[in-house]
Amino acid sequence: MKSLQILLAGLMLVTCSATLFGQQSTVYLSVLSTKLFVVGAANPQTGLFYRKGSDTVWQHTGAPNIRAFGLAVHTPSKGSLLCIASGNGVHKSTDGGATWKITTGWDITEVQSVVIDQSNPQLMYCTTPYGVYRTLDGGTTWKECNNGIAMKFTSSLIIDQKNSNVLYCATDAGVYRSDDRGDTWKRTGLAVSRVRVVVQHPANPDVLVAGTDNDGIYISRNAGKYWDKTEAGLDHSTFYAIVFDPTNPQVLYAGGYVTGVYKSTDGGTSWTRKNDGLTTLNIHSLAVDPANGSRLYAGTHGGGIFQSDDAGNTWRNVGLSGSQVWTLSVQSF
Amino acid sequence: MKHTTIALLLLALAQDVQSQVSDRDTYLKGFDQRVAYVTSFYDTMQTAGYYQAAVRYAHNRDIARADRMFAEMLREPRGDMFWMIPSIGAYLHGKDKMSAETRALVRNAWKTYAPYRGDTENHWCMYYAALYLAAEQWPNLPGSEWYNGKSSEENLREAKEYLIHWMKITTTIGQGEFDSPDYFPEYAMPMILLSHFAIDPEMKTRGTMMTDYIFADFAAEHLDGQYIGGFSRIYQPAVYKPLLSPASAFAYLYFGTGEPTNSGWIVIPALCNYRLPEIIYSIALDRSAPVIEKERKRVRNVIRFGAEKNPPVYKYTYITKDYGIGSLQGGILQPIQQHTWSVRYTYGWPYTTIFGLHPYWSGYEVGMFFPEEVKTLIADVVASKGTYNNPDKWTGGSPFERTFQHKNTLLVLYDIEPGTTTEHIDGFFPRNLEERVIDPSGWIICKAGDTYVGWYPLQEYEWKEELDSPANKLNDIGRPQLERVKETGNWRLRSHKLQNGYVIEVRSKAEIGSFEQFKSGLQKHIPNATLVPGKVSLRYKTLGGDAMEFAFPEKRVLNGKAVDLTKTRLFDGPFLSADVGSEKLTMTYKGKKRILDFKAVTITELK
Repeated sequence: MKSLQILLAGLMLVTCSATLFGQQSTVYLSVLSTKLFVVGAANPQTGLFYRKGSDTVWQHTGAPNIRAFGLAVHTPSKGSLLCIASGNGVHKSTDGGATWKITTGWDITEVQSVVIDQSNPQLMYCTTPYGVYRTLDGGTTWKECNNGIAMKFTSSLIIDQKNSNVLYCATDAGVYRSDDRGDTWKRTGLAVSRVRVVVQHPANPDVLVAGTDNDGIYISRNAGKYWDKTEAGLDHSTFYAIVFDPTNPQVLYAGGYVTGVYKSTDGGTSWTRKNDGLTTLNIHSLAVDPANGSRLYAGTHGGGIFQSDDAGNTWRNVGLSGSQVWTLSVQSF
Repeated sequence: MKHTTIALLLLALAQDVQSQVSDRDTYLKGFDQRVAYVTSFYDTMQTAGYYQAAVRYAHNRDIARADRMFAEMLREPRGDMFWMIPSIGAYLHGKDKMSAETRALVRNAWKTYAPYRGDTENHWCMYYAALYLAAEQWPNLPGSEWYNGKSSEENLREAKEYLIHWMKITTTIGQGEFDSPDYFPEYAMPMILLSHFAIDPEMKTRGTMMTDYIFADFAAEHLDGQYIGGFSRIYQPAVYKPLLSPASAFAYLYFGTGEPTNSGWIVIPALCNYRLPEIIYSIALDRSAPVIEKERKRVRNVIRFGAEKNPPVYKYTYITKDYGIGSLQGGILQPIQQHTWSVRYTYGWPYTTIFGLHPYWSGYEVGMFFPEEVKTLIADVVASKGTYNNPDKWTGGSPFERTFQHKNTLLVLYDIEPGTTTEHIDGFFPRNLEERVIDPSGWIICKAGDTYVGWYPLQEYEWKEELDSPANKLNDIGRPQLERVKETGNWRLRSHKLQNGYVIEVRSKAEIGSFEQFKSGLQKHIPNATLVPGKVSLRYKTLGGDAMEFAFPEKRVLNGKAVDLTKTRLFDGPFLSADVGSEKLTMTYKGKKRILDFKAVTITELK
């Protein structure tokens, strides 16, 4: 009995250590394209890649030649439910990527992002150049949900962490909010053009941060009612990716067109560049390991994926050279 | 030798066809000969390929070799929709002759190879036509047997929905990738396959109707194997050597015009049972009287920088037996490969064209149509369309360009923003013009056989000699090969003024008499232009006596009356008639009619 207790304690220690150092985390990423992509040609693999634990090799799952803009992982199912947003539509797997089905039809195309309601995986959203679509039945049927959106090109969507009826989406005409799961939308106080990304504070749902094409980064501390432009330390204006450190929400990272990675340690008020080792400064995706806030990943436009184990101070390339890594997700199941 | 003999016979036949519209029997006999010519290149070719396999199956020869080819090609499928169409086409021609093992290999490919659906109309058209045919061939299979996880029924339903949607928008507000000499096959092939192989009678009829539709569209703007007019998409070098375009291969096979070709694009169509209705090739071949063809098309899906998803495109084309001149209204109507206007003529193969453009590129333009990031799109586009950001390119539209055409007179104006890529306009003048006279009146006056072209530049310009391709290698009928070898001699007119423009007048010997008469006529017709930023305009009295007033961007006045392009019908000419929203096309030729009604899915012929 004692030896069993020691064994269990040992296993817990191993697990905790591994978790602490991110060894159990799985990194998912979507590759939109490579430098060599031409429709109809013999192209290098694109689509969904993942790397588990201490693996150094990226595995591919799903169709090998789709242009994958986005991905979504259902955390409660430990990644059994996965979705890819691609040129071919929304692909769904319920067995961790062993088999896939395209759930959308011909009319939903160039899908930019897909989002799963973590508490109700039957409810999913996808964003496209033609607006937002929603499914209530796990992808069997999709409905267009653009009522109130002026310019339909929608890059990203988030579900409020405290109230899943509330959504925010980044469009070509600003950030919009829905209080009824997408049935209707109203523009928030941010009406700038070409918003590329909107993210929410992991603990305080009133805090939103938006990155734009050409107009920098904006922060709202009142659920989108008013937005302030954050400029201190920012030398660039186009941001495609913003991420909070879930272990310390005062820390944010941002990246975009030839920006490299910017870091803020004061909740987005001021920023400093953290590019040591980044050989490609064109950043399209960022993710922080939820089990280890010092470990983060940067997906680049044409330079593959980079990893930092010291909170952005130094970076190293960890594969998929030449790839456009459009979206990243790190899961610690 | 086999090919040479057939080719010479065909050339004689083609010349006969061009001079008069043949009776049906003669046409069909000529068509069969052209099919034999095309397929004769493929039925003995040893290199593995879907076309080679398809011809062997269709000709019932060397089936074992065709099977081995299929197996080899399916070892590592690639090409997305460009794989789907030829592979399903070859399969459908051979499924009753190939071995059970080969059939199983084909079936397995549709389970394991996942094609990309693409991002534009021709991609979707090919993808869904092929998927439709495949789903019909393999019904009642679960999603686990298909690359996309959908069952046969789901795939069939989705493909049918898209195809009907595409047919509906095409026949109500116009085709998006309209009148493309390069992308014609991407529509013709899938529709011809549906016409031949669709099991569902309605889809079979729809396939036939859409094949008729796109061929009729081509026929109304066809001259001697060439597509005439402004185009949605065209590549270099076909933009200045028109017969290089794949559409010309279809003109050869179906109209009997242009150059004999063994283009792979027409192999599978040649094996299919679709035959062009007499009225369509009659329209294509009869140039006994000048034709004015007005059409309305649509812009490809606009996803950024515009509120309207598919704004209208207005086309104007004038064709005689010697030449055609056609134009789009200008502006950005298609990304990357737009051809806004050109003159094309029957003389001077292979350089049978004169045209101009503002060689423009921008993230704004590609961002209008592609969903990737605006700032990185140019680099992405250049990866596959290498000329896109080349200041010397010969394709592309510009937001700073507008046209106004009346019959065989064309006015083109530019009001280019400073700092724009690029700050010049270009004109293409081929090397083989008989005359290119810089007249003291300001006109550049060209002679191309019996076609005369006048170009009046509104601003100072310079000439540059262009390097281009080929000509010392001859094809089977003794003409220069259509391939890319080096030679020199084409001329580029370049003008660096931002407020700019020109007047184009085209006449034939039959219309105006001698070249000297054309010259002296032009000398009396000098345009009156205002060229200041924001106020670019032009007044001009045509050789035909019509008064044209044009102010950039959209003010067009003809003989004192405003021209309202928004009233342009889908098709409006002596041969084709269709109203916007109608889902109906009426073809007319010498009292005969063929009516395609896409609502009722019927073809009606009236004689």
